[in-house]
Amino acid sequence: MSHIRKTAIRRALVITVAGTMLGGCVTQRIENARVNSTGLAKGEGVVILAKSYHLGNDTEAKFVACVGNSVGKGSQGLRVIPNDEFVDALFPWFEPRTAPAETKNLPKLMSRPGVAETIKEKGVRYVIWLDGDTNKVAGGGSMSCAAGPGGGGCFGFAWWQKDSNYVASIWDLNGLENAGTVTADVSGTSFMPAIVLPIPLIARTQSKACNALAKQLKSFIVADDKA
Amino acid sequence: MSMRAQKPSFLEATDLVFCWSISAVAATAILLLAGCAGSNVQLRNPTIPEPLIDQLPLKVAARYPEAFDHFVHEEKVIGKEKWSIDLGESNKLLFTHLFGSMFTDFSVIDTSTDARDLDIDALIEPSIDAFEFSVPKQSQTDEFAVWIRYRIKIFDKEGVQIANWPIAAYGKSLSGTFGGDAALQRAAVLAMRDAAALIILQMDKSSGISKLSNARLQQQQDMAQPSADPDNLQSTATEEQHDESH
Repeated sequence: MSHIRKTAIRRALVITVAGTMLGGCVTQRIENARVNSTGLAKGEGVVILAKSYHLGNDTEAKFVACVGNSVGKGSQGLRVIPNDEFVDALFPWFEPRTAPAETKNLPKLMSRPGVAETIKEKGVRYVIWLDGDTNKVAGGGSMSCAAGPGGGGCFGFAWWQKDSNYVASIWDLNGLENAGTVTADVSGTSFMPAIVLPIPLIARTQSKACNALAKQLKSFIVADDKA
Repeated sequence: MSMRAQKPSFLEATDLVFCWSISAVAATAILLLAGCAGSNVQLRNPTIPEPLIDQLPLKVAARYPEAFDHFVHEEKVIGKEKWSIDLGESNKLLFTHLFGSMFTDFSVIDTSTDARDLDIDALIEPSIDAFEFSVPKQSQTDEFAVWIRYRIKIFDKEGVQIANWPIAAYGKSLSGTFGGDAALQRAAVLAMRDAAALIILQMDKSSGISKLSNARLQQQQDMAQPSADPDNLQSTATEEQHDESH
């Protein structure tokens, strides 16, 4: 491969990586609504679950995992019980069909054999239910690519807008009550201009929503402890 | 270094063109195959956790149909992709684990055994009425979904059918999270767990199986009552007195 071609490929890679790192435009709004006071005692933790798909929810498993990882990390990191471990230990009471939809169902759930004991043993103080998803809401432009034995390339411009709207409902298993909600609405437009090589300027709305929601959740749950 | 040394020779240039062509053909072939081939997914030993429930005090036996030994379902998607899922003995494992957790005494019998010869309260015969799945191409989403319709027939110890209960279970999984095959496997396991949850939640309400337990208790009490009859007590006492006189 010639020196000129190597240099061209290197430049293209640098432009692509830089473009990816720059990203598209993102706007976000994070809000919380407190209903009851919160706090965590030593040994207590949280479990993060997606609301049931039987209720029409489509929260992505990777988003649930992302929030779980982010809530557990950092200086204010909380103890996060893996959701699979929690759901399996309490089988069948947190399956999509049987999981409580409202806090008023909690007393009945806790009265079932072994449920309260297992929750106490696992050290779960709060259940955080995630609801919402990421959708492509608009898009446009055009791009055409062609490839042949001598090489290939693309030309054009494409854009698309994604909205990530999530709600986290925090249930206190000590008081069997709703502690409040945290919402994250992130909207972003991605662009991809292409002159020979496409340069993606991606707006990572889901990742932004995950980090912002996790940060707010940590602050929401331990806020009363600090006060 | 001279300019001539930097330029590729004719042989190198030919090789380069040849490599590009082969790569392009290979990539196209892979894309075409990936678009048409579908997949053959196998499910072995699905994870059904130990349920947190109180066992029903019943002696129950289950008899499984042949389909539970090796269940395979195939679907053609829009006449191109052929997807198949092989559940193997997963259904048998699911029901054995589930009923073993639900009843104090549980056993599996084969098709040649007459349940009326056994000392049991109930015989359960689960079967599959229908199995369906959808892949992202069909639903125009990122989801794999599985529907299983089981049927549970319950017979009392006399062989009289007391319940014929259809159960519709559903599971779905996103392809982006687990990848195609794993997502379909996950959706099938979720559907099985959904069936298990539904059976635990509604078994008694839908079949009234716990009445068989009450019937057994009543029968035991009835059998115990004659021994508490005053005449019997009298005879026992007489015998005891007789024994003591010796």
